[in-house]
Amino acid sequence: MMLAQSIADGILTGAIIALGAIGVSFGLQILKFANFAHSELLTWGAYLALVFVAFAGPGTPTAELSFGWQMMAAMALAALLTGCLAWLVDLLIFRRLRRTGAHPMSLVFAAFGAALIMRHVVVMIWGHGTHFYTRELQIALEVLPGVRMLPDQIFILGLTLAIVVALHLYLTYSRTGIAMRAMAESPSLARACGIEVESVIRWTWILSGALAATAGVFLGLTPQLHPEMGFSLLLALFAASILGGTGSLAGAVVGGLLVGLAENLSVLFIGSGYKTAMPFLVLLLVLFFRPQGLFGEKT
Amino acid sequence: MRKWIALSAVLVAAAVLAPSDAAAQASCPVKIGGVLPLTGSMGPITKKIAESAQLAVEHINAGGGVKGCPVQFILRDDQGQPTVGVDAAKYLVEVERVQAFTGTISSGVTGPIISSITAPSKVVQISCCSTATPFTLDGRSQGYFFRTLPTSKTQAVATASEMARRGLKRTAIIYVNTDFGQDMTRFVKLALPKLGGDIVAEVPYTDNQPSYRAEVTKALAEKPESLLLIGFPKDAVTIVREWLSLGGTQKIALNNSMRVKDFVDGVGGRFLNESFGMDNAQVAGPTVDAFNKAFEDKYKYDSKGPGVHTQYDAMMVLGLAMNIAKDLTGPSIKDAVRQVHAAGGATVGTGPEEYKKALELIKAGKPIKYHGATGPIEFDANGDVTGPALVWKIVNGEIVTDHVISIDQMQALFKKIDG
Repeated sequence: MMLAQSIADGILTGAIIALGAIGVSFGLQILKFANFAHSELLTWGAYLALVFVAFAGPGTPTAELSFGWQMMAAMALAALLTGCLAWLVDLLIFRRLRRTGAHPMSLVFAAFGAALIMRHVVVMIWGHGTHFYTRELQIALEVLPGVRMLPDQIFILGLTLAIVVALHLYLTYSRTGIAMRAMAESPSLARACGIEVESVIRWTWILSGALAATAGVFLGLTPQLHPEMGFSLLLALFAASILGGTGSLAGAVVGGLLVGLAENLSVLFIGSGYKTAMPFLVLLLVLFFRPQGLFGEKT
Repeated sequence: MRKWIALSAVLVAAAVLAPSDAAAQASCPVKIGGVLPLTGSMGPITKKIAESAQLAVEHINAGGGVKGCPVQFILRDDQGQPTVGVDAAKYLVEVERVQAFTGTISSGVTGPIISSITAPSKVVQISCCSTATPFTLDGRSQGYFFRTLPTSKTQAVATASEMARRGLKRTAIIYVNTDFGQDMTRFVKLALPKLGGDIVAEVPYTDNQPSYRAEVTKALAEKPESLLLIGFPKDAVTIVREWLSLGGTQKIALNNSMRVKDFVDGVGGRFLNESFGMDNAQVAGPTVDAFNKAFEDKYKYDSKGPGVHTQYDAMMVLGLAMNIAKDLTGPSIKDAVRQVHAAGGATVGTGPEEYKKALELIKAGKPIKYHGATGPIEFDANGDVTGPALVWKIVNGEIVTDHVISIDQMQALFKKIDG
């Protein structure tokens, strides 16, 4: 009974982690560095949606959901703006470093710096306190015997699934998608084939930003926003993308789900005191036994 | 060879400098050492606390000092850092040879001072402000540590009694996995069954998590009929919302940190009409007023602020105990601290006149009962004091005081629980 509930909770947490992990995975494979500022894009996405919600309101609850179409519009807008923000950060910081042929470690440290600045700008604008999209409180539905989920959570799961499928199709069939995958395989070969590297990088940032924003809004829906909301998920994001095998979409998604499940099930079997250590543990196990990740290929 | 010479030199020096019992006998002035975070993040609140200690020393000296000697108070800064604090305490105990000690604020500094300086040197230490219960319970203090403010035990016991009074059954406890959360949980677990409640689940949580559904699910699995949530407001909002969403009851008991509007607004006041919480209550009484007036007269501003009243009492208790003690050795002073509030004693209050009165009673071999700036000061077996608690509740989104649990009622509760 409890097991089923824990698995359902784990899948939900996992879905949010997966959306964020896709961006981290892109960063590792296409941009070739560990972008520790990625978690801040989640935070920014959530807060940008809040701005729209503050103007338009969360909307009247539609169907069983705690919000209306306004929230959906806010999410789309936040995805767009966060995509642009990610690109802007690249223009201001990472592109310059790339051009000077900086060591990958320099990029990592620059990412730490960018993360700090981004987080504190959030504090500066919206303050240290917590915010809510909506003060509505939903009562969970019993979707399966012993499994209770909020309508919002079911919506989040459905939307995540749709996004992942769309992304898969995009990467497989669109020109940009194919170019992105080519970059991931071999940047120099991609360049030799006439792929515009800067354009691919731009699209990678925008896509990562948009996905992060969506994850951020989902995070904010369950149930509050605060300046450290993205940061507290950073390790889980990296664990998920490394677990799945960097650069692989399916890998990031499966990795996210596994991390989410590991966190939630650990409470059941080991005790909640160790919950925060679970991403570390998963990460260590993967690095020991399958360093290339579940879906990665040996290099 | 050189090493051996150095070592023997140290041994000789140690032998020469070792205190003899004769040296511990009253030699004027009597020294009381103090360590407080005068600078650092707690500097601003410490200013008044240090002034309060100084005021107490003046009252002690004006009222007759200790065994005919004036008291010299030597205060050092700990900067809120354990290493600095331990160094300062070491200097006071080993170089200045203080006969009693007061300090400090942060439990993180007080703990190391007890275990590495005052307890091994058998010097009585009284703190105004450190609440971590293990200090007085885990044996590290060997009975040499006391404090003049209530520990988390008071809040825990008050919470348990209110839960029992409201007839809450099958309680699930969700608590923050820190010293504070564990402390509170341990005492509630001790108290609640004896008062008529029962606990069906205990789930710790780590702060700053995006979601606590797993913890809430675990707590709900035991089909609890009430919840005790011990933690801090931000995460508590997430937990309570998830708790209610997943079908948890609205009968929720909360700790003092949740007595803020942010928490109530975050959850939504309409879901909290059956909730209540606990906090320390302010004491009133003539000895409290006398202290407040003396403080205002001297410093020209009011005595409001954390630790100001409890620090005064810490000093006064030391002064009185050192007079009661047959000599000024640690073990004697330690035993005397407990006679500062003796059964059947004559009540003595704050200020130099009352202190003088106390000394006359002590000289005549009569028991005293000290009522200080925080009301009656009576140490329990562990060296802790009890204070009154207040019960608050939420009515239409506003936090209101429900009732106060007096010290006498608290004492009765402790008796019932500790047996």
